[in-house]
Amino acid sequence: MKKAVIIGSGISGLSCAISCAEKGIKSILVSPFVSERSQSVLAAGGINAAFDSFNEGDSIESHIEDTLKGGRYIAGKKAVTGLCKSAPDIVNWLESLGTLFTRNDKGNPDQRAFGGQSHKRTCFCGASTGKQIVSSLVMEARKYESLGLIERRLWCDFYAALIDDGICYGGIIYNEASLSLEIIYADALVMAVGGQNTLFGKTTGSTMCDGFAAGKLFTQGVELKNLEFIQYHPTTIETAQKKMLVSEAVRGEGGRLYYLKDGKRVYFMEERFGKDGNLMPRDVVSRCIYECKRDVFLDISFLGEDQIDKRIPEVRDLCKKYINLDISKESIKVSPSVHFFMGGIAVGLNHESSIKRLYAIGECASIYHGANRLGGNSLLAAIYSGKIAANDIENSTAFASKDGLFKAFFEDENKNLAKMFKSDSKFPVMYVRSLLAESMNKNLAISRNEQALKAGIEDISYYLSVADKIKYDSSVLAYFNYSVGGILTLAKAILLSANERKESRGAHFRSDYPVECDDFKAASVVSYNGGDIKVRFDKEGQYEV
Amino acid sequence: MKFKILRQKAPNTKPYYETFDYDGPMDSSVAGALDYINYKDDIVNDKGQASSRISWECSCLQAMCGSCAMVINNKPALACETFLKDLKEINTIEPLKKFMTVCDLVVDRSIIAENLLKANVYKTGEVKVSKKDYENQYTIAKCLKCGLCLEVCPNYTKGNKFYGASFANDCYLIHTTSKSDEKELKAEFDKHFAASCSKSLSCMDVCPMNLPTLASIARMSRNKAN
Repeated sequence: MKKAVIIGSGISGLSCAISCAEKGIKSILVSPFVSERSQSVLAAGGINAAFDSFNEGDSIESHIEDTLKGGRYIAGKKAVTGLCKSAPDIVNWLESLGTLFTRNDKGNPDQRAFGGQSHKRTCFCGASTGKQIVSSLVMEARKYESLGLIERRLWCDFYAALIDDGICYGGIIYNEASLSLEIIYADALVMAVGGQNTLFGKTTGSTMCDGFAAGKLFTQGVELKNLEFIQYHPTTIETAQKKMLVSEAVRGEGGRLYYLKDGKRVYFMEERFGKDGNLMPRDVVSRCIYECKRDVFLDISFLGEDQIDKRIPEVRDLCKKYINLDISKESIKVSPSVHFFMGGIAVGLNHESSIKRLYAIGECASIYHGANRLGGNSLLAAIYSGKIAANDIENSTAFASKDGLFKAFFEDENKNLAKMFKSDSKFPVMYVRSLLAESMNKNLAISRNEQALKAGIEDISYYLSVADKIKYDSSVLAYFNYSVGGILTLAKAILLSANERKESRGAHFRSDYPVECDDFKAASVVSYNGGDIKVRFDKEGQYEV
Repeated sequence: MKFKILRQKAPNTKPYYETFDYDGPMDSSVAGALDYINYKDDIVNDKGQASSRISWECSCLQAMCGSCAMVINNKPALACETFLKDLKEINTIEPLKKFMTVCDLVVDRSIIAENLLKANVYKTGEVKVSKKDYENQYTIAKCLKCGLCLEVCPNYTKGNKFYGASFANDCYLIHTTSKSDEKELKAEFDKHFAASCSKSLSCMDVCPMNLPTLASIARMSRNKAN
């Protein structure tokens, strides 16, 4: 029986594990905690599929065009076509698993408007779509767990991939319970580890998504792509513990953005872009809010209590609980905050990385979204990518044992870890992580320029120079210690990519190069060679065609 | 404000209380306070002695993932939605006691999923859609599997064959959304829930998602009568 190791048990990991199981491929599903803790449960808004339930002429072609346009035309048309074509089937598949979509009068999944889309195309489950999908996928995975086709490995973190001569033979995981490394050989290693949140400290997402896996794999020869494209979600609320997302569903349901001038409301998005201005793509809205340079508010109170409780009850609860504000009576003060990473592990149409048999799916893979992701496309891509990777694993040749080959590597890594446990220096690990977040927030803000980016590169280069001399902190998980080097390397690659893209496109805005420029109409690809990081522009469409 | 925290270095070591002073923002939650105490690199307890970071599990920080379930002033709750303004001057924080402590406030709740797996609570038939049940189903599918209902339950103890409210709710979800083998599911529900639930309903008082557990029990029991 073929075997896949899947790192991460959120929606993309579950989708891949279930799809593998359906094909008789066994998966080892590795995650420190259960799926209910994954970032996927935070996805609020919905999942796009061109059903055209309103008979307004929506089509797969229109979904493709909106996605390419939203991504400022650097995503691959063939890739995006595959994604959008499969969307209706994916929603039907989720329904068949018992996902509780909000339904219209005909009993079909209802659809709402979302940013950057020409039609009402986003299917949803109230404002807890991600959580509802996780619940149904967990149930389905449980069926295959009972059949022995999915084996969960909790309390385990990713450590490294087993790579020889451009081929991956499995991975090394760190078991936080036994405090030891473990080697797992497999026909495929699938990364489903989510975004790179903790590079920026606390974002709208989970504190568990940190980018380490992408950074570590990068140092092992895996190419990364489009790292400079980081989505700032336009509407988040500031609370004492984090920035919390106010779902795009609020604007989908008619929510209006404004600021106050001489006591009067200025609906700046509508003034600039017409009546649908509030539903411009996220990059545009975030930048417009940033340019206002004053407090911006989101009003949905006119929808009325009944409709608010029916369509977006979770948003009302969230605001009541964390900022003591009733959205059926008052406007919400909002600001943009880091939310999604379009960049990540470079993958081809089959979701394989630059290393054979090493796959990346979900947010950690860079594909489909180009320079800016449309709301409702991430849940779609998470599920689709899991299925595509499973298909490819099914069709690839079986694994040839290479047990002896990684013996020395495994022993070395054990020694490195033992050395880390004993390390002592003046650089505490959590301190380095906070400094990193501070520098990234400052130098990779919504508006960037060469001076800031270079300052960031200088900061990170220094932290990297001390990364293997950090003081081991036994009061946090071993993972927090050993992951620092990978995270810092990723941060540097992001800054270098942002510096090389001397134009403004989608989520990447350069105040020193404010115009979109055809010379850069391509994905950026970054590679690592013994500490040397190189950025190139993939004009030939090596990964995404 | 002070936090008296029940700490434990590793699963088989002796737990001990250690108290920390908190001088951070008061509009925060217990989660925010733990973060604040942990932020510094030279953490000291209220006696000024050098200490170490307090381990606690956290992911979403907005009551959607169930990570930070713990016992705050003897009440099981999520740290991220227990606000400091509602607390006392000296507060006790302990790990959930019905589960094995891994480290400080981190516990191993794998048993929740293991029990559901043991009792085969999953869909075996086609999905069925019910307009009538939708609202309850939708709410119940939001179960965080945080374990607060088990912590507070007078009938639930580790290793016992009684699986508690989170189990009953998942049974309801399968029962009403799929054309599964009713008999088998009913037998599991009877064995692992109905036989031992004394209906204190304390589970409903602490549930962060306000799950209508009573409705689940009623529905599953009605099924039994049929």
